[in-house]
Amino acid sequence: MSKEGDMSLFNDVLEPFRRVINTDPPKDKLSTSSKLNFTDSNQSFKESISNLSALGKRKFSLGTSSPSPDKRARLDSQTTAAPPSPWESRKMKIDLIAAKAQITKLEARVNHQHTIRKEMQILFEEEKASLMEQHKADQKALSDMEDRLQIIRRREQDLKDEFQDALKEHKDSKTKWEKEKADLQKQIADLKDKLLENNVSYKDQLSEMKKDMDELLQALEGAQSEVEMLKTEVTKQTSRAEQCTSLRTQLEKQTFEMQQLTSKLKELEYEKDSYKDWQQQVKTAQKRLQNMAELEKEVARLRATERSLRDAVCNKLLLEEQVHSLTTRLETMQPHQQQLHDAKVKIAHLEASLQEWRAVAAARGAADARSLASALDTAMEKELAAVSEAASVQSQLAQLTEEMSTMKYDRDKATIKLNDWTSVRKNQESLIHRLQKRLLLVTRERDSYRQQLDSFEKELTITMSGESGAGGAALLQARVQHLEKALQGYRDLLTATDLDAHAKVVDALRAEIAKWRDEAEVAKRDAVKYKTQRDNMHARLEKLNFAPPTSKVLHLVDNPAAIAQKQFQADLDAAQEEIVKLKAALREGGSAACSEEVATLKQKVDSSRIKLQRMKEEFTSSAQEYRDVCYMLLGYKIDRTGHKNYRLSSMYAESAEEYLTFTLCDDGIEMVHTDYSATLSELVELHLHHHRSIPLFLSSLTMELFTRTTMQQEEEDSDE
Amino acid sequence: MSQQQTKNCITLRGSAQIICEYLKYATNSVLFQRGLYPPESFKAEQQYGITLLMSEDPQIKSFLTNILGKSEEWILNKQVSKLSLIILNVANKEVLECWDFNVQYEDGDVAMSKEKNEPVTGKELKKIQQEIRDVMLQVAATISYLPLLDCRCSFDILIHAKPDCDVPEKWSEAEPISITNAQNVQLKSFSTGLHKMETVVSYKLAD
Repeated sequence: MSKEGDMSLFNDVLEPFRRVINTDPPKDKLSTSSKLNFTDSNQSFKESISNLSALGKRKFSLGTSSPSPDKRARLDSQTTAAPPSPWESRKMKIDLIAAKAQITKLEARVNHQHTIRKEMQILFEEEKASLMEQHKADQKALSDMEDRLQIIRRREQDLKDEFQDALKEHKDSKTKWEKEKADLQKQIADLKDKLLENNVSYKDQLSEMKKDMDELLQALEGAQSEVEMLKTEVTKQTSRAEQCTSLRTQLEKQTFEMQQLTSKLKELEYEKDSYKDWQQQVKTAQKRLQNMAELEKEVARLRATERSLRDAVCNKLLLEEQVHSLTTRLETMQPHQQQLHDAKVKIAHLEASLQEWRAVAAARGAADARSLASALDTAMEKELAAVSEAASVQSQLAQLTEEMSTMKYDRDKATIKLNDWTSVRKNQESLIHRLQKRLLLVTRERDSYRQQLDSFEKELTITMSGESGAGGAALLQARVQHLEKALQGYRDLLTATDLDAHAKVVDALRAEIAKWRDEAEVAKRDAVKYKTQRDNMHARLEKLNFAPPTSKVLHLVDNPAAIAQKQFQADLDAAQEEIVKLKAALREGGSAACSEEVATLKQKVDSSRIKLQRMKEEFTSSAQEYRDVCYMLLGYKIDRTGHKNYRLSSMYAESAEEYLTFTLCDDGIEMVHTDYSATLSELVELHLHHHRSIPLFLSSLTMELFTRTTMQQEEEDSDE
Repeated sequence: MSQQQTKNCITLRGSAQIICEYLKYATNSVLFQRGLYPPESFKAEQQYGITLLMSEDPQIKSFLTNILGKSEEWILNKQVSKLSLIILNVANKEVLECWDFNVQYEDGDVAMSKEKNEPVTGKELKKIQQEIRDVMLQVAATISYLPLLDCRCSFDILIHAKPDCDVPEKWSEAEPISITNAQNVQLKSFSTGLHKMETVVSYKLAD
């Protein structure tokens, strides 16, 4: 707007000059560039004006009357032909100069105005920008504030809610507390009542207790007097106990004496028994003496018998000699008897055979031996004759067999020849057959040729005689028939020859097939061989193909393989170094290498040993303590005598032999019979068998022992 | 995926990038399948429509980017005939397995190339990726017949370049490898139209 204002002002200023100069107003009023142009045009305009003035001057100096075109135009409008007077022109000039000066002045003013305006604009824009920024900042601050406000509102809401909740809670708790308070007050009241009651009761009780106390005091006094009495009694009892012990020792002595006496008694009894035996022996000896006379008689009798026995012995020797001689005789006689037996048997045999012979002879009609002999002779002769005959017959047989063999040989020869001949005949027959066939073929061929010849002749005659209508047709038919016949003949021939030929062809083909199969197999094998060869050659070819001349093989220097190899090498080196080190260490001696370790281990061992020692000591001391405490508390010393065996000896036992033995069984502890336990049969019966409680048994035993010892002491005291 | 692809055509550079991308995935797949590195160091990634396992080991990653960047350049200049991924026994440097990636150069779409004034191919990217997927599946299936690698193994990639190729810094010429008693298995091949990639695995037949 300001620009336009300026421009309008500017235009207003310039308007008169424009009118004077009669120039066009600037085309573009708004753009600054055009403004600059305008100034340029102004300048150019000035120049043109100066030029014009110069020209005017020149013209004027030249004294020509021809005015400038614009002047002329004006002049044309004012005056028709009056030439401009020098004054006029001078005036014009002066005007012009004045106008020029005014123009320059105005231009300077305009420029000044422009600069002022520009500065103003710049200032204004700067201010605007700053204001805009401020505005933005304010907006941002506003939005932030709003956000904050919202947050605060939210917080407020939350706090309000919380407050409400708290109020509610407070009310609830208040009611609760009030209730509790009421309850507690009630309780307090109850407790107060109770307290009052209790106070009353306590007072009653107190009085009662005071009474009791008095009574008890009286009782105590009584008891004290009693105690004194009892003490005196106790002293009596102890003295008595001492007496008892002395009595016991006396008793023991007496028992010992008694035992000695009993042993003596036993000895005496034994002696008495032996004496009785002696008495019996004496008795028997007396009896024997009484029997002496009888014995003498018997001796005489026995002597007689002895004599008779001696005689018998002599007889016996004689008889033995006789027996010996007889046995020798018997031995000599035995083979004789055997021979006799054999002879008898032979005789029996011979007699039987003789009988048979006789029977045979009788059957042959020979009444006696001679006739038999003659008959035998004749028989022998007959046999001889038969033998000779048989020999002759055998020789004949041999001759005949020989002849037969020769005949056989001949026959074989003949058969071989026959076979040869038959084969020859067969060949010849086949030849004949073939020849016949050929003959047949030849004759047929001849026939066919003849027929063809005939037909040709006929044709020839037909062609010679020219085509003569129906006759020609008939001839043609005949020729066709001939040809058909010939065809038939050929067919027959074909069928005749076919069968044989077919069989042959089949055989040939089979053979060929087999051959081809073999060849195919061979070819397959070859193919396999060639394939492997080809592969090998391919491989070689590839190797050759990529040999350096045709191509160059390139690769990165630091490829993974190289890196891996380096690492591998490094690992290997490290491992070998370690091996060397270890070997050296080994050579130096393992002890040197790990002396430190050994030392530390030794230290450890020592420390652990000390620890063990301390533990042992601690254990033994604590075990001892435990045992002592057990002994003191329970009154029994418990010793472990062996595997699962425990020995208990009481604190109040009179001697070391008085102990009990227990063994740990699968189902609890059992008491083992000892000498001491045998004396406690009552307690055993009552507590172990009836109550089945070992602790009870032990405690009662303790009680008993304790009372016994105290009694003894009392007795002793009383004795004293 | 940064093929310079306009109007459904692949330029030489784009084709080389596809090849190198395939090489990256194939190498990672082989490393995983053959158990050269622990399976925990691999991460599954979807590519070519299948899940492939890529090594997370920074050393392997940097090695592959190095080698494949250089290979791409060489493939652009038609200086590489074959890349071999060899698996060798670290202890005795014996080569146990060799994965050959044979690169063959093709003319591409001649009419289109004239039009664009540079060799291009009009083969669809989808089809190429389909082909690559088939090869990757075959690579994954090789584990069923390849012998067990029961020693400490590592790998290297050899590039069979033309003899006039210059050797850059940190690179060196390697010995040509050979596997005794080798058995070759040719896998499927794929082509971008400008490059044909044949994958052959040769391995030492167990005695």
